[in-house]
Amino acid sequence: MIKEENTKLHNFVFQMLPWIIPTAFIILWFVISEAGLIPTYLLPHPVEIAKAGYTYIFDTPGDAPFAGRFLSDAGASLIRVCSGFAVAVILGIPLGIISGRLVSVRKLLSSTVNGLRSVPGISWLPLAMIWFGIGIKTTIFLVALAAFFPIYLNAAAGAGQINPLLLQAGAMMGVKRLRGTFAILLPGAMPHIMTGLRLGLGISWAYLVLGELTGVPNGLGAVIMDARMLGRIDIIIVGIIIIAIMGRLSDQLLTASLRFCFKSAGRMS
Amino acid sequence: MKPELTATPKSDPGISKTILKINNLKKVFRVNGIFLAVLDGIDFTVKKGEMICILGRSGCGKSTLLKMLAGFLAPSSGEILLNGKPVTNPGTDRCVVFQEDTLFPWLTVQENIAFGLKGRNKDKKGIRKEVDRFIALVGLTEFRDYLPREISGGMKQRVALARVLILKPKILLMDEPFASLDAQTREEMQNLLLSLREKLSHTIIFVTHDVNEAVTLSDRILVMSKNPGRIREDIHVDLVRPRKMEKQEFIFFRRKLYKHLCD
Repeated sequence: MIKEENTKLHNFVFQMLPWIIPTAFIILWFVISEAGLIPTYLLPHPVEIAKAGYTYIFDTPGDAPFAGRFLSDAGASLIRVCSGFAVAVILGIPLGIISGRLVSVRKLLSSTVNGLRSVPGISWLPLAMIWFGIGIKTTIFLVALAAFFPIYLNAAAGAGQINPLLLQAGAMMGVKRLRGTFAILLPGAMPHIMTGLRLGLGISWAYLVLGELTGVPNGLGAVIMDARMLGRIDIIIVGIIIIAIMGRLSDQLLTASLRFCFKSAGRMS
Repeated sequence: MKPELTATPKSDPGISKTILKINNLKKVFRVNGIFLAVLDGIDFTVKKGEMICILGRSGCGKSTLLKMLAGFLAPSSGEILLNGKPVTNPGTDRCVVFQEDTLFPWLTVQENIAFGLKGRNKDKKGIRKEVDRFIALVGLTEFRDYLPREISGGMKQRVALARVLILKPKILLMDEPFASLDAQTREEMQNLLLSLREKLSHTIIFVTHDVNEAVTLSDRILVMSKNPGRIREDIHVDLVRPRKMEKQEFIFFRRKLYKHLCD
């Protein structure tokens, strides 16, 4: 009896673990603001942030600056993140798997990829603006470029570490190359591929904001930039919080949909 | 080399037809610039339905020989003829049960067993029926939805056996498949293999270093020597089945084999 209650309590605490740090952070923030330790033009009161967030998300557009912009901003940003990420996936996974299996392809690609990888994304920004202008194309380019590397490298590592005996077993059971790729290589590499996709999606959000800082009319990054120009620190913080939440949700959605679509994603991790 | 087309005598069905012929097989590996003859002049034939053990100490090249029979390795010279056709690639007519766990970890027991059939154009119902039959044959019906990591080593080897038997190979190649199992489980697996063989009458080539295992299982034992690997003895095992290790004639036979192995 006692033991059961203990496990219940234990489970509850366990479920609450992810919320402890954000909650503590908000409480600390509240205390600092109530005590007036930091001036409001540097860090507004959390209640002010909540109000600004409410206006940004729920109010009718035009009622106030930033009112009701959330849906169109989030929509625009989501489209950019998804397109850039999709480009990175379409290039990164096949190239990664091929270079994980074929030494010649790996040799062909590795110096170039690792060279390009060490160039910080922000140094592509000026070039991208010249090539693609200000707007959606630049953002998609930056997102795709940044997300490609973790996706490619992890797919290559995953395909490289597959137990050769599994491939031999497949061959003796009559598996030809095409089926082997989808029935053995892909699932065998899946845990690594999943890691690469999650890292890539995370970095996509980072480069989204970078791409949107350059004067596009809408998007979550654009809102932050606009708010900076207008001195609206509350909206900057609202933007940051929204990006954090959307990044977290998109990661969960990605993991869940991979597990739903691929047996190997659900059963090996 | 043409396949033997002579009719098998009625009195001895199945067992007298040659299915596999190995002619002067050699394998040379190059290690640090030095050529090392691992197998040298291997000659033997296997008749349909025979259960042969290749017995040898570690390093005698018995696993290399099996890999060549499976088509994973190409011989340096000589030939392997299955029903008169040279073996060049891995294929479903020669299936392997490995010593290591080579089940697909992302597939359940029944999905692993169905894996080979799915490559053939077969309807779902037919696959399901075959899978049911072979899961029952290896006694894993209750564990059909388990993942490999959730079952024991002995059960994994049962799955490994079922997933190749379902493909109806002409020859079953077994590379020390029970070597990493505990003694009781190994005995269980040996009995399972013998009973399956009675039901399905497979031709089996079984590589082992375990003298007891060889005497328990085989109709014929090929004893290999080391450096270079050669077949030193080709011994018919004429003990009555089922063979019990405690029996006098078993002990006598084992002693004889040991002598060949250690000379």
